Amino acid sequence: MSTKKELGGWLLASPYLLSAILFFLIPLGWSLSLVFFDWNVISPVRTYVGLGNFREALTSTRVFKAFVNTYKFMGIIVPGVIVASLGLALLVQHLPRGKQFYAVGFFLPYLASGVAVSLVVRGILSYDSAFNEFLRSVFGSSPRWLRDPFWATLVISAMIIWKLSGYYALIFLAGLQGIPRELYEAAALDGAGPLTQFRKITVPLLYPAFYTVLVLSVGLCFGIFTEPYVLTGGGPRFATHTWQLEIYSQAFERFRAGYGATVAVLNAVITFGSILIIRRVVESWGRRLGFR
Amino acid sequence: MVQAKKRGKAKVLALYTTATVVLALMIIPYLYMLIQSLAPWHEVDRVFIPSSLGVRSYTWLFAGGAASLPRPWLRALGNSALVATVVTLSRVLVGSLVGYALAVLSFRGRGVIQNFILFHMFYPGIILLVPTFLLIRALGLYDTYAAMILPGLVSTWAIFMYANFFRTVPKEVIEAARMDGAGELRIIFQIMIPIARPITAIVFLFLFMERWIELLWDLIVIRDPAKQTLNVLLATMFGPYGGYEGPLYAAGVLLTFPIIVLFLLFSRRFVQGVSLVIST
Repeated sequence: MSTKKELGGWLLASPYLLSAILFFLIPLGWSLSLVFFDWNVISPVRTYVGLGNFREALTSTRVFKAFVNTYKFMGIIVPGVIVASLGLALLVQHLPRGKQFYAVGFFLPYLASGVAVSLVVRGILSYDSAFNEFLRSVFGSSPRWLRDPFWATLVISAMIIWKLSGYYALIFLAGLQGIPRELYEAAALDGAGPLTQFRKITVPLLYPAFYTVLVLSVGLCFGIFTEPYVLTGGGPRFATHTWQLEIYSQAFERFRAGYGATVAVLNAVITFGSILIIRRVVESWGRRLGFR
Repeated sequence: MVQAKKRGKAKVLALYTTATVVLALMIIPYLYMLIQSLAPWHEVDRVFIPSSLGVRSYTWLFAGGAASLPRPWLRALGNSALVATVVTLSRVLVGSLVGYALAVLSFRGRGVIQNFILFHMFYPGIILLVPTFLLIRALGLYDTYAAMILPGLVSTWAIFMYANFFRTVPKEVIEAARMDGAGELRIIFQIMIPIARPITAIVFLFLFMERWIELLWDLIVIRDPAKQTLNVLLATMFGPYGGYEGPLYAAGVLLTFPIIVLFLLFSRRFVQGVSLVIST
């Protein structure tokens, strides 16, 4: 009976274990050795280069661009997505009826394929599009959009904010619904206006939601790929180059498996470190508010 | 009193107006795609509202594209559906089986497996990209459907979701079923999976969507256009198809609208389900 029960657990878990050995542990081990080799994937010869890949990656301007751009994207996307999603959540929260309808509607962008949205964005921004004709008729000129480093960064950030805000709004909405109404009523009796109530009650009590959204959106900035791949190829002049583009281009366009794997390790370490630092900062804010 | 009521009414009206305008903004890209896919070809992108609507872009796609650059668009849609369906069904099934084992059964090594899954879940997948590709190649699976399907058959997130949910099911329910002589598999399929329906709806939707819009992996492992998913075909056709915006929008519609329909079918349970996802 007992051994049968033991066996049952392992049996049920076996599909996971099998897949984890094959597609997690083996690649994991392989990645540890890959980073020390210069290997073009096809040739049978692998040259041991020691820390050469790391040295190259740490001095590469392409990697440096990807590194800097990630924080540039983060500086736009994270505040943007927090403001947008909190705004959507507050809007839905205040509707007397139809909350579900609007919450579901705002979520729709999350379902979009980045490729399909890029298609639309490219079309809207193409030189002789109706949108640009309109801009030229009003302002006399239209920006060069994806060929301009500033606008290209902004457009890609806006696409990501658009995609995520409805999803993160649901996180804020769940937080808002957990705030007792009595708090607002008591504050109103004490003469606190809506703005003070928002600052002193809503924001502090939404701390767990802020935390979730912040960590999720920061992590996401390290994985930007689809939009720049399709729209700009990382350009112009590497203004929208990202970690994943660099890994893809090194490992799968130039077939430098060892170097690509090295950049990936670097990316993971930096992502992990950045999230750790941001979590520290946010948690110290949380402690001041009395959350653990 | 009357004035306060009036002010309240005005406020509600303003709220709904704002909400509706914002909603319109959120779905404009979808509408744009749909409208432009139906526009006459010389008007695509040039006007917001086309002078007439037609299905030329769709018939062009269904006929396989231009003679000079034939592309299996419909086949790509089928590929997307096949890969996403197989992967998602497997992830849901494995998720519920393993989740049940971890949440309900007690066996030696359970704690180890649980910790290992957490490690797996938070291990940055990007590091595995290159070696997993090399593994697929070494197994002789490069440029096959298996390359798109096999590495994705199990989701640690799905396991985690089901395990968390099954822990909330009262022990008595399971004990009673065991007393009646039900085996573990019967308990899973006849009791646990039916109660887990709200979780399944959310897990299925998120995982299906995730697989449906996958780009990087499918780009790497597939070369043959006949095996490409619609997402990849569309992404790689951006440049060479410069002159065919209309059909590209039609392909975008084929790529986007199935997910929306799937979502709207589930949406009744959706908002409450998402709060479950977030709270765990």
